[in-house]
Amino acid sequence: MINIKLNVNGKDYSLEIEEDKRLIDVLREDLRFTGVKEGCSEGECGACSVIMDGRIVNSCLVMAVQANGSSIVTVEGLVKDGELDPVQRAFIEKGATQCGYCTPGFIMAARAFLNRAKDPTREEIREAISGNLCRCTGYNKIVDAIEEAYRYEKGI
Amino acid sequence: MIVKQAKSVEDALELLSHYGNCKIIAGGTDIIIQMNEKKVQPKVLIDISKVEELKKIEEDGDFIKIGSAVTYTDIIESSIFEGNLSGFKKACRLVGSPQIRNRGTIGGNIVNASPAADSVPPLIALGATIILESKNNIREVKVEDYFSHSETFGIREYEILTAIRFRKPKGVLTFAKLGLRKALAISRISIAALVELDKDNKVSFVRIASGSIGRYPMREHELEEFLQGKVFDDAVIDEAVKVLQGVMDVRLANRSSLPYKRRAVEAVLKEALGEVRK
Amino acid sequence: MKREFKVVGKNIHRVDAFKKVTGRAIYPEDIFMENMAYGKTLRSTIAHGYVSLDTREAEKIDGVLGIFTYKDVPNNRYGVVYKDQEVFVSKKVKRVGDPLAFVVAENEKLCDLALEKIKVYYEEIEGVFDPVEAMEEDAPKVHGKSNILYHFKIRKGDVEEGFRRSHVIVENTYKTHMVDHAFLQPEAGIGYIDEEGRVAVIVSTQYPHYDMEEIASTLNIPIDQVRVINAYVGGAFGGREDISLQIHLALAAKVLKRPVKTIYSREESFLAHSKRHAMVMRYKTGADKEGNLLAMETVIIGDTGAYASWGENVMRKAGVHATGPYYIPNVKVDSYAVYTNNPFAGAVRGFGATQVPVAYEQQMDALAVKLGMDPVTIRMKNIFKVGSETATGQILTEGVPLEECLSKLVEAMGYPYGKEAYR
Repeated sequence: MINIKLNVNGKDYSLEIEEDKRLIDVLREDLRFTGVKEGCSEGECGACSVIMDGRIVNSCLVMAVQANGSSIVTVEGLVKDGELDPVQRAFIEKGATQCGYCTPGFIMAARAFLNRAKDPTREEIREAISGNLCRCTGYNKIVDAIEEAYRYEKGI
Repeated sequence: MIVKQAKSVEDALELLSHYGNCKIIAGGTDIIIQMNEKKVQPKVLIDISKVEELKKIEEDGDFIKIGSAVTYTDIIESSIFEGNLSGFKKACRLVGSPQIRNRGTIGGNIVNASPAADSVPPLIALGATIILESKNNIREVKVEDYFSHSETFGIREYEILTAIRFRKPKGVLTFAKLGLRKALAISRISIAALVELDKDNKVSFVRIASGSIGRYPMREHELEEFLQGKVFDDAVIDEAVKVLQGVMDVRLANRSSLPYKRRAVEAVLKEALGEVRK
Repeated sequence: MKREFKVVGKNIHRVDAFKKVTGRAIYPEDIFMENMAYGKTLRSTIAHGYVSLDTREAEKIDGVLGIFTYKDVPNNRYGVVYKDQEVFVSKKVKRVGDPLAFVVAENEKLCDLALEKIKVYYEEIEGVFDPVEAMEEDAPKVHGKSNILYHFKIRKGDVEEGFRRSHVIVENTYKTHMVDHAFLQPEAGIGYIDEEGRVAVIVSTQYPHYDMEEIASTLNIPIDQVRVINAYVGGAFGGREDISLQIHLALAAKVLKRPVKTIYSREESFLAHSKRHAMVMRYKTGADKEGNLLAMETVIIGDTGAYASWGENVMRKAGVHATGPYYIPNVKVDSYAVYTNNPFAGAVRGFGATQVPVAYEQQMDALAVKLGMDPVTIRMKNIFKVGSETATGQILTEGVPLEECLSKLVEAMGYPYGKEAYR
């Protein structure tokens, strides 16, 4: 067992964990942020994507100990004062969710991308979500939603 | 298994010499999968992902030094790899996905020694060396030799790859890759070329390295010898494709992938050499 | 005047969208219950052979709560159409991935340890992995006396006469491969005893009512003592029509009186559920000088793998769709579902109608080439219209806008159909 400190969705946690746990295990099992999904356990599907110190990462490919001292944002952390994040709103508005299992990962990848994006093209959006798989094949609507989210944020 | 977070290189080397059956983890994008599959089962995992001195990209006179824990994203966002070095940036941009590029490191790409490692051919073309440190020793090894003579130049149990170094080149570094899809694709073929042309458009210096055209990333000496001193035009590039195909016919003889790869290599080599002229 | 509708023409939000975008949609693996144990499945690593287990050492591990095998299942047989699957293999393994035992322990690591400690003894026997070979008399048999599970026939008109009158005939064999659904959420579930003492399973499934019946029948308990609660389903595409972990969880919860949770890894998910039928399709198609189809004869062999699942229904559908959307006066179809020792094949989007276009559309192209016609014209000549009769004798009375659809498509592509542009 080992002690680590994490800031998740703005809140500080001090945790005693088994050392072989990955970040996803701690987020899901210890902290119950079950919006973080596990689809492949090898970085192919992106369902476990979270923002770690400002960057999108696969939480299945980070050992929990490696996240010691880091700030993590999961899909649960995007709602601020009861208000949905523009990306979440746009995903609802554009029908960008089907079975929903890939949705948290896509939303986090989109959020991380939009935090740095300037007038993104569809091609850039596609590149930004290239680490996420959707098996219900809703990619076009997901790209639509991310464009829409950008418009919400810029008030255009 | 226990996991130790190293605070410095010294700290990591100390831990490495102290424990047996250790593995170094940096980005984790390979080793965590190997651990899941029980292909590696270290007793101690030493994390170097938060060692600041390994995360720097530095210009030192004529040289550029990249810390081993520098991520692909760090390379892509660095202003150092512009102009004649943008081929290295391109190689890093074609790795995995945003998630993988944010974690995966240059050092990890080398020590995991995949024949398809995308950052390696550009480093070989640049003539880069790697620095391998242990508690009592430092070795500097050419990236090329690391792969071609791994029994002598490969990393040892108690060593850590701390940095990659190369002299700033005069020529243009380019890179091209063929994957089965755009994202998260393991290279089927990759080629990096460093080419310098003189005022008569003749090749005055050339170094070419390939990935996935053999058991490890390697120099393409025959191709270099062919190009050296030639006028760098379409006819010569067409001829160069044939030279490389001839090399592949021998090296990949009996491989089921040969008929596909010898055809596909044409476009990849033409892209890599074509970008020299841009 | 344009009519206003409440729904048609409006942007309607999915009822579950809010939960899905906020991470609050609960899939079975997201549920944590008080005093919950974990379960893992031991699966066969060979495709065909006799098996026996020694679980004694594994049972002794502290924290292992139970190891369930066929001996613990009152009625070991289930299946969506034919009851040809076993909850746990009793004697003969029929594919890689057949469940042999279900280990329940205090945590997942103990499950893994117990799985390693179970001794598995195999006596391997020759298997059959090609459905064409499997149809031969002397092929190894997967179940019973014949590997042919199902034979579907269509006989319409006189194909011999049709071919005699044909100006061109093309004959080809087409093969399609096995495909996995790869739904993004691997199978997961949790079994427990509910507040009224019933066996309950929360699972992502396509058929909660079938699951209830199968649990009740295999465990030999009244159906009103079984509850199956469908959680959010992370994609299915047919792959969650067959039972995966439902009976295992119900059995363990019933015996142990504790909640038991199981989550498959991606690898286990691939082993556990059905696949799209690989098919071998031999086609012979004839047309007159003008490109009018006169006769078609086909043998379609579907590899249903180790178990029937929906093989009969899938291969019937493949047979019914064998002509494609084209009128042919003389048709002979023989479609088979054949057992092999491959992964079992079942429902996947399209359900048998997806594979046959690979064959019948290429036949159309091959005929067009032989006739020197363009590929759109030959299709337009034969395509189903209102009033057309299909190979099964059905008269299509309404809703057959194929000509319109194809012309719009060709127009959008800018394809100069009907001109000499082709070739």
